[in-house]
Amino acid sequence: MAVVVAAVAVFGWRARARLGVLRAGRPTDRTSDLGARARRELLHVLGQRKLFQKALPGLMHAFIFWGFLVLFPTILEAAVAIVDRDTHLPLLGEARWFLFLVDLFTVLVTVGVAIAFFIRKVQRPDRFRGSHMEEADRILLAILGIVTTLALWNATRIALGITEHPGAQPLANALSGMFANDRPTEVLERVFVWSHLLIVLGFLTYLPKSKHLHIITAAPNVFLAKNGPTGRLEPLRIDLEGPEEDLRFGAAVATDLSRKQILDLFSCTECGRCQEVCPAWATGKPLSPKLLIMDLRDHVLGETPRILGTEAGVVELQPLVPNAVIDQVVWDCTTCGACVRECPVDIEHIDTIVDLRRNLVMAESRFPSEAGAMLRGVEGANENPWGQPAAARTGWTAGLEVRVLEPGDPPPEYLFWVGCAGAFDERAQTTTQSVARLLTAAGVDWAILGARERCTGDPARRMGHEYLFQMLAEKNVETLGEAGVTKIVASCAHCFNTLANEYPDYGGTYEVVHHTQLLSRLISEGRLVNRRPATGTVTFHDACYVGRHNGEYDAPRDVLGAAGAAATEMPRSRERSFCCGAGGARMWMEESAGTRVNDTRFAEATATGADTLAVACPYCYVMLDDAAKATGSEMRVADVATLLAESTLADT
Amino acid sequence: MPTIWVFAELGPDGAASSALELLTKARSLDARLEAVALGPRATEAADELGRHGAERVFASDDAVFADHPGRPGAHVLASLVDEHTPDLVLFSTAYEARDVAGRLQARLGVTLMSNATDVLGLDRARTEIFGGTKIVDVELTGPSPRLVLVRPRSFAAEPADGAGPAEVVTVDAAVPDDLRGVRVVERHQEAASGPRLQDAKVVIAGGRGLGGPEPFAMLDELGAAIGGAAVGASRAAVDAGWVPYSYQIGQTGKTVKPEVYLAVGISGALQHLVGMKGAKRIVAVNKDAEAPILKLADIGVVGDLFGFVPALTEEIWKRRSS
Repeated sequence: MAVVVAAVAVFGWRARARLGVLRAGRPTDRTSDLGARARRELLHVLGQRKLFQKALPGLMHAFIFWGFLVLFPTILEAAVAIVDRDTHLPLLGEARWFLFLVDLFTVLVTVGVAIAFFIRKVQRPDRFRGSHMEEADRILLAILGIVTTLALWNATRIALGITEHPGAQPLANALSGMFANDRPTEVLERVFVWSHLLIVLGFLTYLPKSKHLHIITAAPNVFLAKNGPTGRLEPLRIDLEGPEEDLRFGAAVATDLSRKQILDLFSCTECGRCQEVCPAWATGKPLSPKLLIMDLRDHVLGETPRILGTEAGVVELQPLVPNAVIDQVVWDCTTCGACVRECPVDIEHIDTIVDLRRNLVMAESRFPSEAGAMLRGVEGANENPWGQPAAARTGWTAGLEVRVLEPGDPPPEYLFWVGCAGAFDERAQTTTQSVARLLTAAGVDWAILGARERCTGDPARRMGHEYLFQMLAEKNVETLGEAGVTKIVASCAHCFNTLANEYPDYGGTYEVVHHTQLLSRLISEGRLVNRRPATGTVTFHDACYVGRHNGEYDAPRDVLGAAGAAATEMPRSRERSFCCGAGGARMWMEESAGTRVNDTRFAEATATGADTLAVACPYCYVMLDDAAKATGSEMRVADVATLLAESTLADT
Repeated sequence: MPTIWVFAELGPDGAASSALELLTKARSLDARLEAVALGPRATEAADELGRHGAERVFASDDAVFADHPGRPGAHVLASLVDEHTPDLVLFSTAYEARDVAGRLQARLGVTLMSNATDVLGLDRARTEIFGGTKIVDVELTGPSPRLVLVRPRSFAAEPADGAGPAEVVTVDAAVPDDLRGVRVVERHQEAASGPRLQDAKVVIAGGRGLGGPEPFAMLDELGAAIGGAAVGASRAAVDAGWVPYSYQIGQTGKTVKPEVYLAVGISGALQHLVGMKGAKRIVAVNKDAEAPILKLADIGVVGDLFGFVPALTEEIWKRRSS
């Protein structure tokens, strides 16, 4: 009994320190839509859905996880048996179905551990690079020890006639053949039950110190994850007129992280699924989402005495950057969301990275200097990243019939949000013109804001300049409100995401569609008809902010289908698409370390043998077309809308 | 009367221009002006510091300040501050001055403000926040002296009317051995030839059309013929590894505004155009008549750059020699 109390006390002591660190974090409200949270809990935790994104590791984990749910009462059973050998747990202890399940999962957990060792020792996937391999081995051996002692204990109980339903436990029954109903077996029964309980208790005391803490933290972490599209960043309201102590500029030290962000750190199992899909890591950059989380966790844990105030003297928390992670790690991220999607315990890497950037940009003015031109351009009188004259926003309309919405004009059904790239970039302009002509051909009532449009603030926000974003969002919401806009179509994935998911936080709620969604609808309504099927084959590159962040995979493919080109898919497509390298304001930064993300993606596209690489975002267009030119490839890069225009419009 | 000190960095030609900028600014504040110059040829620099308004210069020519960065300077400056009690000490945000200022602050426990863009008074300075989108005036409180690190080139340096050389107070450079732990082992000067890209009157930029690193020599030759032209590149040429990043002109590189900009084999992606659209005259050579750069150019040459550029170089030499 004393052993149990001691183990629980040690666990409690260690867990209390973790809890103290957690409570030192910034509170965040994650209580909206409890139904959605409960559903996610069922799917992601009980159903292990994200784990099954990888078949074998998923099976491994599910066996062990479900096993532990089933076997949990056996710990109580063992505790009872320590006191009185012949007493069973009420209800479950004598239920045949439960005894059978225990026996079954003893086997399945063992199989799970065997698979785990096979993965770790034989397959040795690269995603484990940087993870604590020995710790994982210790944990797996402990699990093996728990089920082995359980099976042997049950076997001796059958041999001694303690169990009333030996037939319900085929494995234990078979093993019981090794034991006679005699004195040595009685001793062994005590040995097995004690070792079973001691391993469990030892495991318990070890938990808070290890990556295996996730068995406690994962379920709440999944519950507290963000609802809705992952493309929405949590706003950081900056009120310069408000009280100074309320001003926050992102995460400088451990206690600036939100409680969810700290819980993220305590939930990481170091499985490396995020690392495997990260475009930065894949191209030789220092950023790995897994190592980011591990490094932050180690740093935050190292700060525990200072956070809890148990260290004497003047204590100051150390800056997270560069003590936990170096600057480059913070800037390597394209915010593509592959890591977030892959993570079995719903860690939100992007939010943490953006919070680190917010502090670097707003509090310290510390960021890759080449991105300064973008910030100055967005902030300047012309309010676009390239600092182009605002009046030139309508330059692409020459020769087209385009209604420019003047103040006081009646609102159109759809406002076409052109975006800065769509307005100014030579290549993106071809997309804009195609969308314009298709909308007109389909008889849509549409107009543009012209010179009154300004950057949505997305690049500033992803850079961490929340204040600049906030100013732009407020101004744009005002302009859109005055114009009476209710529906928006955007041809830039980033504008689309920001308008749809982030402007509601600033009072701007519209029905926002991506141009591929609207075009797909117009096709299905028969308003755009194929006249000349496209020739050759085409492969489609999913834009992160249309696909992964907003769940739209089919509309662009439907449009391509209507254009008539034969489609072929890249190995990494749809949910698992690989970023072009421009998101997260990477468009405005140099990429000097490792190989280039756009080149990597373009090579994947050419390997399909397709003639055309279709895109659905001007950033992807610029990045992949640059890669095409750099390699001198014959492959054509074009927006989905341009390909549709070529096959449906009469005059092209 | 309050006293303002300027911690004067020393360059190869005497007082660094940053020191003269700070003195020029400090003259507009109603205070007695003095400077501290530590390192080889500090005494010589006193003349120039005086002409910019310093009445007295505390100087030491000892090599210890050049050989051991930061700590000796902070040590000597701390004892000078103890002895003479200035009210405000100004530093330029440069390597040595920044190092000294930080150490001095830690030793004295006084107020240090960094990244100032203007000094408004003995207890007020200006800075920029949010990446330069907001200007903030800051009040400096706490015991004297207040320390302020000012961004270089925040002011233009001008000599004071009728000011002569400063009085030189020789400083004893007694630096304990334990402050000499960090030693400068070697110095390297970055090799630079020709004018800087941002300052050149004529810029010749090469792009993807050059096809490799070798043709850049052709641009160098043209630059030499023109005389004083700087050679740059588009992002594509830099990404391809043909020339270093320091050549890059454009959104994520340098912004140039020369009298004449010659774009060779550059198609003119937006990323590039924003870095050179301020040029007075733009000449573009490109084999593709549809290249966007040709729409922007005052003179467009559609043709083979490998024929055109050497011919142009030759023609310039011919006319210059005649």
